[in-house]
Amino acid sequence: MKNRIYLSAIVFFLALSSGFAQSEEISPARKQAIDSLALEKVKDLSQYISIIGSKETQFSEANRVMDRAEELFAPGAEMGVSSINSNDIAYYKVRRYFERLMALNYDRVNITWYDIQYISDLERQPDGRYVGVITVYQRFEGTSIETGMNYKDTTKKDITIYVEKKQTQIAGRTIDFWDVMLGDVRVTETSA
Amino acid sequence: MRISLALLAVLFLSLGFVSAQTYRGSGTVLDDGRFAASTKQLNQFFRRFNAEESPDGSKRYYPGDSLYHNIPLRQGFIQILFDNQTSSINDNLKKDFVDHVLSGVYPQYINFHREGWFAEVQTEFIFRGRREVATIFLKLQPEGLGYEWVIDEVSFDPFKRLFNKPEGDGKDFLHPLSHELGFMNLRRAFQDSDKPEAFTEKAFKPDYLTLFLYEMNNGNLRFETVTGVKFHFFQIEGWYFEVNQFNRPGFNTGWLIANLVKLNPGDKETVLDFIYDQN
Repeated sequence: MKNRIYLSAIVFFLALSSGFAQSEEISPARKQAIDSLALEKVKDLSQYISIIGSKETQFSEANRVMDRAEELFAPGAEMGVSSINSNDIAYYKVRRYFERLMALNYDRVNITWYDIQYISDLERQPDGRYVGVITVYQRFEGTSIETGMNYKDTTKKDITIYVEKKQTQIAGRTIDFWDVMLGDVRVTETSA
Repeated sequence: MRISLALLAVLFLSLGFVSAQTYRGSGTVLDDGRFAASTKQLNQFFRRFNAEESPDGSKRYYPGDSLYHNIPLRQGFIQILFDNQTSSINDNLKKDFVDHVLSGVYPQYINFHREGWFAEVQTEFIFRGRREVATIFLKLQPEGLGYEWVIDEVSFDPFKRLFNKPEGDGKDFLHPLSHELGFMNLRRAFQDSDKPEAFTEKAFKPDYLTLFLYEMNNGNLRFETVTGVKFHFFQIEGWYFEVNQFNRPGFNTGWLIANLVKLNPGDKETVLDFIYDQN
């Protein structure tokens, strides 16, 4: 179903992009469309994180969701995590980060997202791909019934997005479209 | 379209003084204004400094938009781009800077792609078995079809401790007729002296970056982590400012100006020498 949604986004792009095909510049209108697609992927990631982190999620289902979540990312993407108490960044491969999230020893986990996000401009890399950063905020609450411990934090997530022009064949015609992949994510604990 | 200062004041106040977070349905928390107020990315610092986005950051302004580079909007933004809690930037100095930047005749902007700004990154490495701090300086350069950050300089104490060139009477030397002896006295520089750098030309400066890469390529340096980032700006004519990230409770957070210096002739080189810390 998710693939169908992305396909519709691609079609939306194509509809928007007639006349753009010759130019590599990203116009404000196209930027807005790319932002929407990128945000959609970030929202999917947020949803997957909530499912993986929930104790009500069966192990097999969590693994399936981790596979889906991993597909959002470009190969080799990493999570860089730091806390209020330490400026050191701990680096995890995306899959490892999800596994750690799943293994948290809380009986109840509640992950919510703030209704605010910030999307940077898109900058071109040497290889011609565009790169941007989306910032979102997550609130985590974990409760352990046995110890009565209640842990809360709010993290800022700066998520890299890669935007690349690709080609596909539709009904024998080669069509350009813009695709978005997620990249490295910087996770910073905030004082909120 | 004209926009009044009063309207902008209300917009900026709305970024700052709304109370406690509230929950909305379906797993979303409403921001109480703190995250909206925070300068969340350096990208947002650029946009706010130049007035290239709406007060809440949700709309990007482009040339031709009525509020693009709008002076009252910039004025409001620049006020909230200072660290107003811990930095002791004099109010008069701040006012001079704001007046200079917002000049009606020659307004000044910062530009992502233009020279005159760079990053200072605090890192930790394991060097010959010990954890050491290294300061890496990076700058943006055009490359291929776009841009990339490249390492410009490094400041690394274990290397700095190695080089201590004596000056004046304390400095050993090769006498001016050494050539007649086929430089047999090079032994003094390379064998007898514990400061061979004393025998180098006046302008000699050790290239710490080359040494750093040499040690890394030989497997003696291993990257551990990044512990801090700040940015230095010289793009505003006659001024230097430093941008740091403030992660703390409240509304004055994110990437903010932590240090501001008015530059007289010659000051820029002094400030750069101090930042790069190569001597």
